[in-house]
Parts: sequence; C-alpha cells; structure tokens
Amino acid sequence: MTRVWFGLAAIAAVALVGGFAVAEAQTGAAQQIAQRQDMMKANGQAMRTLTPMVRGEAAWNQQAAVQAATTLHNSARQIPAIFPEGTGPDAGKTDALPSIWQNWADFQAKAKAMETESAKLLELANAGDEAGFKAQFPNVGRTCGGCHEHYRAKRN
Amino acid sequence: MRPQRFWRTFAVASVLAFAACTLPAAAQAPDREAVRRGEYLFNAGGCLGCHTDVKGGGPPLAGGRALRTPFGTFYGPNITPDPDHGIGRWTEADFIRAMREGVRPDGAHYYPVFPYTSFTGMTDGDLRDLWAYLRSVPPVARPNRAHEVKFPFGFRPLLTIWKWLNFTPGPFSPDGTRPPAVNRGAYLVQAVAHCGECHTPRDALGGLDSSRLLAGTPDGPDGERVPNITPHPETGIGTWSAADLLDLLKLGMTPDGDFVGGSMGEVVRNTTSKLSDDDQRAVVAYLRSLPPIENRVTRRQNTPE
Ligand code: HEC
Ligand code: HEC
Ligand code: HEC
Repeated sequence: MTRVWFGLAAIAAVALVGGFAVAEAQTGAAQQIAQRQDMMKANGQAMRTLTPMVRGEAAWNQQAAVQAATTLHNSARQIPAIFPEGTGPDAGKTDALPSIWQNWADFQAKAKAMETESAKLLELANAGDEAGFKAQFPNVGRTCGGCHEHYRAKRN
Repeated sequence: MRPQRFWRTFAVASVLAFAACTLPAAAQAPDREAVRRGEYLFNAGGCLGCHTDVKGGGPPLAGGRALRTPFGTFYGPNITPDPDHGIGRWTEADFIRAMREGVRPDGAHYYPVFPYTSFTGMTDGDLRDLWAYLRSVPPVARPNRAHEVKFPFGFRPLLTIWKWLNFTPGPFSPDGTRPPAVNRGAYLVQAVAHCGECHTPRDALGGLDSSRLLAGTPDGPDGERVPNITPHPETGIGTWSAADLLDLLKLGMTPDGDFVGGSMGEVVRNTTSKLSDDDQRAVVAYLRSLPPIENRVTRRQNTPE
C-alpha cells in the first residue's frame, strides 16, 4: 500500500514539476515576445525621430542622426536572436507570422538587409553627410517594410 | 531634261524611303505609348500580385496565387497572352467586358475576388491601354488551377443574384463641384487601385457597405485588421499630415515610425510607391476630403504625443 502511495506521490511530483516547466516556457516565450516588441518599437521611435529632419521640417542634427542610426544598426544585428522558435502566435499575443520559422533563411536575409542599409546610414551620419543621409533613409525604410510584408500581419 | 529626271527619281525615292521609315513607326508609336500607359495602370491596379504565384516561384501573370476568402480559396488565373492557358485568344472587347461587367467571354460571371466591382469604374481609354500592355507581356503556357469554392458558392449562376444585389457597373463619373485633384484621387482609390476592396467593411453576403466607405474592418484578407482610412481624428487618419500620408504611400511608413506589413506592404511595393508624385498627391487630397467615419479597428495610437 505504501508503495502505491509512494508511486502516486512520485507521479504527482513529476506532473507538478512538468507543469511548472511548461508554465515557465510559456512565460519565457511571452517575455521574449514583449522584449522584441519593445525593440521593434525603439526602431519605430528612431525612424520617427529622423523623419522631420529628412523631410526638412526640422533642422539637421548630426548627434541625433548618429544616435538613431546606431539604434537601428544595433537592433538589426539582434533580430535573428530575438525571434527564437516557439515564439509564434501559439505562444502569445504577437503579430509575427509562423512563416518566419518556415522560411528562416529568408527571414535572416531580410534582417541582414536592414543591417546593411542601416550600416550605410550610420556611416553617413558619422561623416556628417546630410544629403547622403536623407537619400539613404528611404532605403532603410524599405527594409522594414520588406520584412513586415512577409512576416508580420496585424491581427491583434 | 536630265536634272529634272534626277529630281523626279530622287523625289520618288525619298518618298518611298520616308514611307518605309515612318509607316511602321507611325503604326507602332501610339501603340508603344499605349503599352507604357498601360503598364502604369497595371501597377496602379495591383494586377501582378493576384495573378502571380510568387511563393511558388511562378512566372509573372501566369497565375496560381492562392487567395483565401470566407467563400473558399481562389487561384488567380493566367492572364498572359498564351492562347491555351492564358487570354491569348481574347479580343479587346472581351477584356473590357470582363473588367467592366465581370463577365467571361462565354457569358459566365466572375467571382468578386477579381475586383471588377472596382475596375468597372475605369475609363474605356484606360482599359484599352491596359489591354495593350497585357498583350505585350511574354505568353506562359501554365495551366490554371481550379478554385476550391465552398458549397453552394461553386455554382456560378448564383453570382447573378449577388451581382444584382451588390454591383453597379459603369465608369467613374467625376464630381464637378470638387477640385480636379480630388476627382483624380477618387478615380485612383475607387476604380483603379481598389483600396475599398480591403478598407471598406462588407455585409454578410460579401458586398461592400457603401455607407461606410474606407472605414476599415477587422475581417480583412487573411484575417488582417484593415484600418479606418477616413479622416476621423481618433479612429482614422484625421491627425495625419499630408506629408505623413505621402510617406505611407511612398514607403509604407506610419506617423509612429512603424511600417505597414502584410497585404498593405505588397500594395505599397507594387502600387502606391509606383504612382507618380501628382497621383500620390491626388490620393492624399481625396482621402483627406472624405467624410470622417468613427470606427475603431486597430490599437494604433494615431495621435503622436
Ligand atoms: C527581419 C524582419 C524585420 C525587420 C527587418 C524589421 N521588422 Fe519590425 N517587426 C517584425 C516582426 C515579425 C514584428 C512583429 C513582432 C511581434 O508582434 O512579436 C515587427 C514589429 C514591429 C513594430 C511593432 C511593435 C509593437 O508590437 O508595437 C514596429 C514599430 C516595427 N516592427 C518597426 C520596425 C522598423 C522601423 C524597422 C526598420 C527600421 C523594422 N521594424 C524592421 C519584423 C521585422
Ligand atoms: C485581389 C486579387 C486580384 C486583383 C488585384 C486582380 N485580379 Fe484579375 N482575377 C482575380 C481572380 C481570383 C480571377 C478569377 C475570377 C473567377 O474565376 O471568377 C481573376 C480574373 C481575371 C481575368 C479573367 C481571366 C480568365 O481567364 O477568365 C482577367 C482578364 C483579369 N483578372 C485581369 C486583371 C487585371 C488587368 C488586373 C489589374 C488591373 C487584375 N486582374 C487584378 C484576382 C485578381
Ligand atoms: C489587399 C488589401 C488592401 C488594399 C488593396 C489596400 N490596403 Fe491599405 N491597408 C491594408 C492593411 C491590412 C493595412 C494594415 C497594415 C499594417 O498596419 O501592417 C493597411 C493600412 C493602410 C494605411 C495605414 C493606416 C493606419 O492607420 O495605419 C493607409 C493610409 C492605407 N492602408 C491606405 C490605402 C490606400 C490609399 C489604398 C489604395 C491605394 C490601400 N490602402 C489599399 C490592406 C489593404
């Protein structure tokens, strides 16, 4: 009899630990989703800071340009790492499409495109090349839209 | 005597040479112009996306793109000039009837996934130019894939009733009380670029709700939320400046620095970014002239702090 109880207790313990592990994985995924959304928001903020300057509505500010371009360049390099498998729509509230993980090489290429174009933007900002910077801005923007077109859909 | 004959021969020869050079040119020149104008309309109409199987690596306009709707899955057909698999045997009149009336050359009705409900507004001249362009693309012998339509919609004659309820054929008529740019924008938005096919909510039968023109819907293609693009200040684009809207059309950027994705990403890449500056400004002028309609569809903060 005691053996039966012991067995049941063991099963319960395993189930409990397993349950925690699952819950842990879920909050882990939810956290990763929230973190990457924050990073994407920072990209949006950087583009928003630059827009009035690019349009000529605000005066050219080299320091602000360097700062925003740095944000963009740094986050481009982190994109593959902040989209680990298991953080798709099954894991939480996200607009990331499951096709990211079915076309991983292409997704990485789209992140690479943003890295390349934002590197050029940063170089132009550092060089103080205002005209070149303004001409490069849309090329960076197209890499944002180029990825969102395939891998993000507004569902939430 | 001799010089005269020389001049006569010269004159005849030069007339012949002139005719040889100019006749074919004269016959082709307007045609080439029509093709060029047609290509512009082709981009503005977003024909490429629905008629090309980009995911499967299919050739341009040879069909195969899957379009999922509540009524089933449709496959954009091959519209290259291939005589057997495309529309190579069509006449210009067949094409104009398909676009204006939503009717196949054999008299059957098209499903409204093919946005003829909007294209019907295109002018005859524009439809002829579009036809000239479609004739100029390389033919591709790729067979069409049959639509997978849910019961009972597979029965095309039912479309007679649908069209009777939801479809008003006929070219767009400009409103004389509005500035020309607003009319041009209305023509582009309503007829050619068919923005309303996604941005206007639909009724239970899939007809566009014309009382809520461009007011957005949570039930867009592929389950996307399609935002309200009337100038309502809280729920639409009422706080966007003209420059904000131009950036959206050119680049896909929204005032919060985000970039549209999904089907709108494709519309920006294939369509709005390829419009001329004047046409982009016309679209903006028209959108800003619309009556604002309150309808919250997305969580986006439209009011920059
Ligand atoms: C390689 C793909 C990729 C690139 C490049 C990319 N994004 Fe994103 N972005 C995404 C995905 C996927 C999401 C959805 C994330 C989620 O909901 O979990 C997203 C979400 C966003 C969001 C919404 C965040 C939120 O939840 O509120 C903003 C803003 C954004 N991106 C801005 C940008 C900007 C600006 C750029 C270019 C400078 C950019 N992105 C480049 C893939 C990309
Ligand atoms: C939203 C997707 C979509 C867009 C945009 C679209 N089409 Fe189509 N088109 C379709 C579908 C789906 C059909 C098939 C309808 C049916 O079988 O009832 C079709 C049918 C056609 C046909 C008839 C082909 C046949 O074999 O009978 C022609 C011609 C055509 N489209 C031309 C165009 C042109 C020109 C444009 C751009 C101005 C365009 N389409 C834009 C989806 C689209
Ligand atoms: C195939 C469907 C489709 C068509 C056609 C379409 N749109 Fe959109 N549009 C969308 C979707 C979906 C979004 C939301 C995309 C996102 O935020 O990622 C959107 C977003 C927008 C926005 C941004 C609004 C906001 O609040 O963020 C504007 C402006 C817009 N569209 C204008 C247009 C215009 C003008 C046309 C015609 C030239 C058009 N759209 C045609 C689907 C469509």
